[in-house]
Order: sequence, then structure tokens, then C-alpha cells
Amino acid sequence: MQEYLPVLLLLAFAVVAATGFMVLSGLTGPKRFERGKEDPFECGMPLFSDARRRVTVKFYLVAILFLLFDLETAFLYPWAVLFRKLGLFGFIEMMVFILILVVGLVYAWKSGALEWQ
Amino acid sequence: MDLQSILLSLKAIVPEMILTATGCLVLLYDLLIPEENRGVHAGISAVGVITALFSVLWFGSERIEAFSGMLAQDTFGSFFTVVVLVSLLLTLMLSRSYNDWEGIQKGEFYALLLFSSVGMLVMAKATDMMTIFLGLELLSIPIYVLVGFDRKRLSSVEGALKYFLLGAFATGFLLYGMALLYAATGATSLSGIAAFAGKENVFGNTLFLAGTALLFVGFGFKVSLVPFHMWTPDAYQGAPTPVTAFMSAGPKAAAFAAVIRVLVVAFPESHPFLLKGLWVVAALTMTVGNVSALVQDDVKRMLAYSSIAHAGYVLVGLVSGDRLGGQAAMYYLFVYSLMNIGAFAIVMLLSEGEERGYAIENFRGVGFRYPVLGALMTVFLVSLGGIPPTAGFVGKFYLFSAAVKKGLILLTVIGVLNSAASVYYYLRVVVYMYMLPERAEEVRPRPVGVGVALALFIATVGVIALGIFPKGLLSFAESSILSIFLS
Amino acid sequence: MDSAVAFLTSKIPFLASLPFWVVAFLVMLVVALVILGFALTYEGIATYIERKVAADIQVRIGPNRVGPNGWFQFIADGVKLLMKEDLIPAKADKFLFVLAPYLVFVGSFAAFVVVPFGISLIAADLNIGVYYVMAVTSLVVIGILLAGWGSNNKWALLGGMRAAAQIVSYEVPVGMALLPAVILAGSLSLQEIIRSQGGYLGIFGWNIFHNPFTFFSFFLYFTAALAETNRTPFDIPEAESELVAGYHVEYSGIRFAFFFMAEYGDMFVVCALAAALYLGGWQVPFVDVSGLSPLLANLLSLGVFLAKVIALILVMMWVRWTLPRLRVDQLMRMSWKYLVPLTFVNVLGVSVWVLAFDGKGIPALVMSLLGR
Repeated sequence: MQEYLPVLLLLAFAVVAATGFMVLSGLTGPKRFERGKEDPFECGMPLFSDARRRVTVKFYLVAILFLLFDLETAFLYPWAVLFRKLGLFGFIEMMVFILILVVGLVYAWKSGALEWQ
Repeated sequence: MDLQSILLSLKAIVPEMILTATGCLVLLYDLLIPEENRGVHAGISAVGVITALFSVLWFGSERIEAFSGMLAQDTFGSFFTVVVLVSLLLTLMLSRSYNDWEGIQKGEFYALLLFSSVGMLVMAKATDMMTIFLGLELLSIPIYVLVGFDRKRLSSVEGALKYFLLGAFATGFLLYGMALLYAATGATSLSGIAAFAGKENVFGNTLFLAGTALLFVGFGFKVSLVPFHMWTPDAYQGAPTPVTAFMSAGPKAAAFAAVIRVLVVAFPESHPFLLKGLWVVAALTMTVGNVSALVQDDVKRMLAYSSIAHAGYVLVGLVSGDRLGGQAAMYYLFVYSLMNIGAFAIVMLLSEGEERGYAIENFRGVGFRYPVLGALMTVFLVSLGGIPPTAGFVGKFYLFSAAVKKGLILLTVIGVLNSAASVYYYLRVVVYMYMLPERAEEVRPRPVGVGVALALFIATVGVIALGIFPKGLLSFAESSILSIFLS
Repeated sequence: MDSAVAFLTSKIPFLASLPFWVVAFLVMLVVALVILGFALTYEGIATYIERKVAADIQVRIGPNRVGPNGWFQFIADGVKLLMKEDLIPAKADKFLFVLAPYLVFVGSFAAFVVVPFGISLIAADLNIGVYYVMAVTSLVVIGILLAGWGSNNKWALLGGMRAAAQIVSYEVPVGMALLPAVILAGSLSLQEIIRSQGGYLGIFGWNIFHNPFTFFSFFLYFTAALAETNRTPFDIPEAESELVAGYHVEYSGIRFAFFFMAEYGDMFVVCALAAALYLGGWQVPFVDVSGLSPLLANLLSLGVFLAKVIALILVMMWVRWTLPRLRVDQLMRMSWKYLVPLTFVNVLGVSVWVLAFDGKGIPALVMSLLGR
């Protein structure tokens, strides 16, 4: 686990540095309040409705597809590392796995889940 | 794992592989054919299921420890494979016509049924907590979707949502229980847990006790035992009727398979402690299920409540905690699948559509106008009520006699009283069919296709034949339960 | 790490009197500082170069006022952004609004830890390096989504959603396109992968020339990675002409600078990964770096690595100022219908190749035919 210490340290550093910049900016920057300045930007038009609205379902579809296929890639990595040792057996095993996922992809494709209309 | 053991492992999951392949095939073929031809998927799926059934017979049931002890093929597994596959086959026969009537004929329906069944088979064969969980998830997720499959109908979506939310919680409980058990014992395999329970004092081990309790809470949700049965009526009523029939048979059998294996293999030492708890749950489940079923006017909902009660009866067999009890429970699960699917099939036929409900009023005078339907319904209801000479009677007889032999007199009395009470609401339907005058606007049964007729035929023959000649199935169940007691 | 500490304690007597962990901590601190400094400087310079490249392509002059030839432009920009007023819209979700830039900033920096700058110049040679990069860079998605939602602005929300959809869509082909290199090296450690690309073959030892599939993989990866960094032609989330500025429309001053820096940081990481996995990383063609003295070896490998990375970054900039923007449906189709199936085929092809030729690439096969 020792090799993760620099990672932690750098993360902590990044947070500290970011906070530092933020503080510096707060100290040096002007503070002038003005009406309308704190309104959400709407291309110069007065605000007419709240932005918290529902988004189209297509985004959720993409999220679900992502979960599915990203998990698959995650599973492929350990296999890839050991692929040379596993040889033909590993190849066949993974092809079965990929085949099932390809069935899923073909299904999603044909049933129109990949269309963005 | 060398090649030899891998091939042996693959041999242990031949039915699963066949079902998976069929499911994928259905899914892909669905994309190629026009909408009106989709009924053909029921046929394709049925061919796959029959092939899987034959593979079970062909490969026999010699014990195979597959995948480094994650899964075991044995007679016990084969028994439940047969139960699940038979229920699946009957469901497929019912769904083809039903989906046409309700306008939900889609390839996904059959694929989901097949995938869910794969989960059930995995669960029945699992010898490790991880595979049990894998099977359970694979079982549950397609079922959630299937319950809400008629997504234009509000009750279907409502049932699916309730089932999904509670089921997700139950899965959480189960997984947490497994995690605690792993923390306590350092093993996920059932035999590993048994080895720990054999040498340590588990009663002082809080982790172990909490893990066990959570594990059984999770299982309790899945087989709808009483404090955890809340989802059952709504999910059963909302689901498309063939799915309801399937849910009451396949998943229940698979979950009970896992419970039996866990009880027998993992907890042989702590039995008395666990059995006390299960005793209470069994009594509660029978009573609550039956009492709630008494007041239902919708036959589908009534059958849903009665399925809770039946889970209680099966649990009585487990509480007996010996070979006889287990054997009786397994026998009962099999015949229950047959009679319940049969009863749901008739209910499905006697409705004007899912939207209009399944009011008991629909049954008025059915016995005279449609004598065959009436007679079949009577057979199933009589069997569900546990009246001879049907299989339901034999099953209950063995369950309660196993309990009596173990000295569980009070539980048996509760069970028999419940059984008597259940006769009231089962026979109420018969009374409607034969003794009450017809309604002015009669309910026309839906046209009975080949599939439905075949399903009804198989279910009826099964219920009567197993009632008169129970020996064969009983000895199959006996060798099954022995196969895990000995291992 | 241990060797670095041992080296220092042998050189500087004062350090030898301190306990091991103090020295180790100091070393790490210095390393962290150096990386942070490098990242900040690089990002500054990259913005300047980007403007110059844009100007050249559009036949303009570009920044030329601050310092000779405008070289100090990025410092002026930085100071300007630092001294701007820090605005938080009244209706924004304050906590999320403030949190988002941090996540983006930290996520993009964290990836620098495993970038293999030279033969022994790496902050942490994790044995799951490739995986780690993919994991921490996905922090950026969360930051962007939070920024979009927290701003309570329609443009921001839409931009954030689009960005998230795009990044997750292209995450899949990115992951799949990296697999061939992992298969060939049999390791996820970036140093290990680079070492496997050395040898007497020179540039033909690089993974990109290993076989046709890896050659193709490199381009697939580069395309998908371009989309992951939200740059033109895949910049639909921040398309100025329709979304004003996308998810960071409400951000100003230093908070905006964080998003900006993260974008350039991501570019560097993506190009570093491409260089390390397919272009031989710090391997100097036809020179066995490990045989040289440590100082020379490190300097040489650092120079070569940076040259490769900067070349790739310049390609990215060139693409940005040359190609028009894709529509959102084209964008999604590109990922799911072209890149994903192609990367599948690629992984398949590479694994078949490895099985068929026992892991030897075309150059090695040719050499063995020639009798070497």
C-alpha cells in the first residue's frame, strides 16, 4: 500500500492548493454588489422560469448503457493482464462473456436505444 | 482449474447454458420478425426448456462439485431444476395467448422469463453464498421487469414498483447478512460456515447471529414469509397473470431450495436455535395468509394471499428439520407449482381483461355453462385446500406427519386449523361456480388455445396422478434431500 | 521510493539522522510539489500555445502584447482570473456550486501521479496504473454534473447533462481501446507497459507497430479520448453558439480557471496515456536508456516523453481549429455504433494475434524471418 501514499499526498496537495487559490482570489478580487448580477445568466433576457426541470429520458438510457458496458470493460482488465498466461482457455472464456454482451449491444442497437432523436 | 475440471463444471450447468442460449436467441430473433409473429417466441422458448429438461435426465444427477465449490450438481439441484423448468414450461404455454389478449406480445417477455429461470437454477445448485446471491439477483431483476411488463396498466407498474423497492431492500438485507457471516466465519462457502459453526460457540458470537438473522430476513422476503410478505398481494395482483402464476411457483421453489440447502449444509449445529424462529414464522405465515385470503373478493388477490399461506405450510416441513420434513416440503413445492399455475390459468381465462379485474362474481354459474373449466377449477381448488385424493392432500399429509413425528404438535394443530380455514375460501369459489345463479351479463371465457389447453391438461393430470401415485415423486424428493444430507 | 530515500541519506548526512518515514515524507512532499508546479505551468503554457495555434490556422497574429511575442500572456491571464470578483448566483445551490470546481481540479491533477515522465521519474508506479487513471478522471464527470446542476441555470444544466452523457459514452471505447496494450504487456503498470516496448527494434518496438489491430487501437483511443476531454469536434457540452458556455456558464474568476485548467490537464493525461501505451512512452528509439548514467537517462527519457506528449497535444489543437462540431445525435452514434463495436473487434483481433504468434509483433516476426 505504500505506493499509494504519494497519491494521497498529491490529492491533499491539490485540495490545499485549490483552496489557497480560492482564498487568494477572495482577498484580491473586488466585491461590488449590483442588482441583476446574481441572477442566472439567460442571454440578457429577464429570467422567466426555474432551471430545475426534468431532462429528457435519453440521458438515463445512456447512463444505464454506460453502467452495463463500463462494468464489462472493468471485468476485461484483469483478464487482459493475465491473458498470456491463460492462453486459449482464457480466450474462449472471454469470448463467451463478450458474445453475451454483444448480444446485448445488438439488442440495444436494434431496439433503438442508441438513437438520439 | 485444469481443463478436465472445467469441462466437468460445464457439465453441471448444461440446463443453465441451454436456457441462456435460448434467451439470447429469442432476444435477437425478436428484432428480425414482424410484430404480429411474435408469438413464435413462446414456441422457441418451450423447445429450449424441453431440451434443458431432457439434458437433466440425460446427464443424470451424479454429484459434481463445479467451479471450485461454488456450485454443485446433485440430485437436490436436479429436483428443483425440474420444478422450475416444469413451471416455466406451463407459464410459457399460458403466456402466448395471454400476451395476445392483453397486447403485450414481445420477445423480451420470454427472454426475461428464461433469464430469470437461469437465476433460479443457479440458486438451486449454489453451494456458496456468492452464487446464491448471484442466482437471486439474476432471478429477481427479470421478475421485477416482468411484473411491470404491462407498462400501460397502472396496477402492473404499481406492483412492479412495490416489488422492486421491497425486493431491493430484501437483497440488501441478504447481502448484509452474508457479509456479516463472512466476517464472523471467514468463509462464504456453506461448508466453510458449517465448519466454523461446528467448532466455535456460535451463540456467543453476535456477528454470526446477526448475520444469520439478516440472511433469513432476506430469504423471508423472497418466499414472502409473514413479517416480510407486504409486497406479495400487490405484486401478484398487478403482474400479468402468467407471471403471477410463475412467481408463485418457480422463484418460490428456487428460494426454498436455497433455504433448505443453507439450513442443512451451513447450519446443522445451530438448528434448534434457528428452528425456534422458523417455528414462529411458519405459524404466523400460515395464519396471516389464510385470514387475509378469507376476505378477498378478487380471486387473483385471494390466490396471492393463499400463496403466502402455502409458503407457511412448506416452512412447517423445514421446521421439522429432518429428512422426512425436507422430503415433504420438496414434494409440496412441486405439486403446489402445478395446482397453483392451473388455478391461475383458469382465473386468467375467466376475465374480460386485466383492467376489469378477476372478481369472484365472474365465476357465477361457470360450472354449468362451461363444465370443463368448472371441473378443472374445482380440482385445483380442492387440491389447494388439501382434500383427498389430490396431490395437495398428500403433500400436506406428509408435511404434517413429519411435524408430528418430530413432536411439533402445536404447530401441526395450527397448520391443520389453517388448512381447514382455507377450505372455506377455496370452496367459496366452487359455490359461486355451481350453486349461485348466473349473472345477467355473463363473462365469456377467453378462447382456449392449444397452449393453454396443454398446460391445463398437464397441471390436472399432475395434480391427480401425484395424488394417487405419490411414490415416484416422493422417492425422487427423498434421494434429493439425502444427496445434500450426505455431502 | 526506498531507493530515493537511500540515495538522499547517503548524500546528505543531516537526513541520515532523521527517521526513515520523515525523509520519505519529505521526498513525497517534494515530488507532489514538483508535479503540482509542472501541471500548473504546463496548463498555463498550453493555453498560450493553443491561442497561437488558433491564430496561425486562422491567419491571425494571436497574443503578442505581453512580453516578447506574447510569451507572458498566460501569466497575465492567470493574474487577471485570480483578481476577478468571485460570484455565486443567488439561486445556485451554494454547496454544490463551490464543490464542483474542486472535484474537477483534483480529479484532473490526481491522474498526474502515475504519469511516467521518465525512466525513473514517476511519482507512484501503481501496479494498476491504467485503471487508476480511468478511475480518477471520472471524478471530473461528477464535478461537471454538479456544476451543471448547482448553477441553477438552463444552459449549465443542459451542458452538464450533455457533458456527462458524452463522457460516459466515450468512457467505454476508451477503456476498450486501452486493452490491447495491456494484453501485450500483461500488466497495468504504466512503467511496465513502457518497458515492454523497448529493445533493438527501435520505434518498431512500440505497441502501435505491433500489429494492425494495435495500430488501429491507437487511433480509436485518440478519437475517443478527444471526446472525453470535451474538445472540438466533440465539444457539444460547451458549444458556445448554442449553450453559451455549457456547464461553467455561471462560473467566473478563479473558479472558471479551475475548469479551464482541468481541460488542459485532461488533455495532457490523455496524450501521456496514448504515448505511454502505444508510442513507447519514454523509450528513446535505438538507445537503451537504462544503460546510461541515471541523470542522463532521466533527462533523455523525460525529453523524449514530453516531445511525444506535446506532439499529440498539438494534434489535438490542430483538430480543434480545423474540424466543425458534431451534432449531438452524431456524437452518440459515433460512440455506440462505431467506436464500441470497433474496439470490440480490436480486442478480439489482438487476442487472436497474441495466441497465434505467441505474442510476437509484425516487426519481431520480420526480424526472425531475416534471421535475427
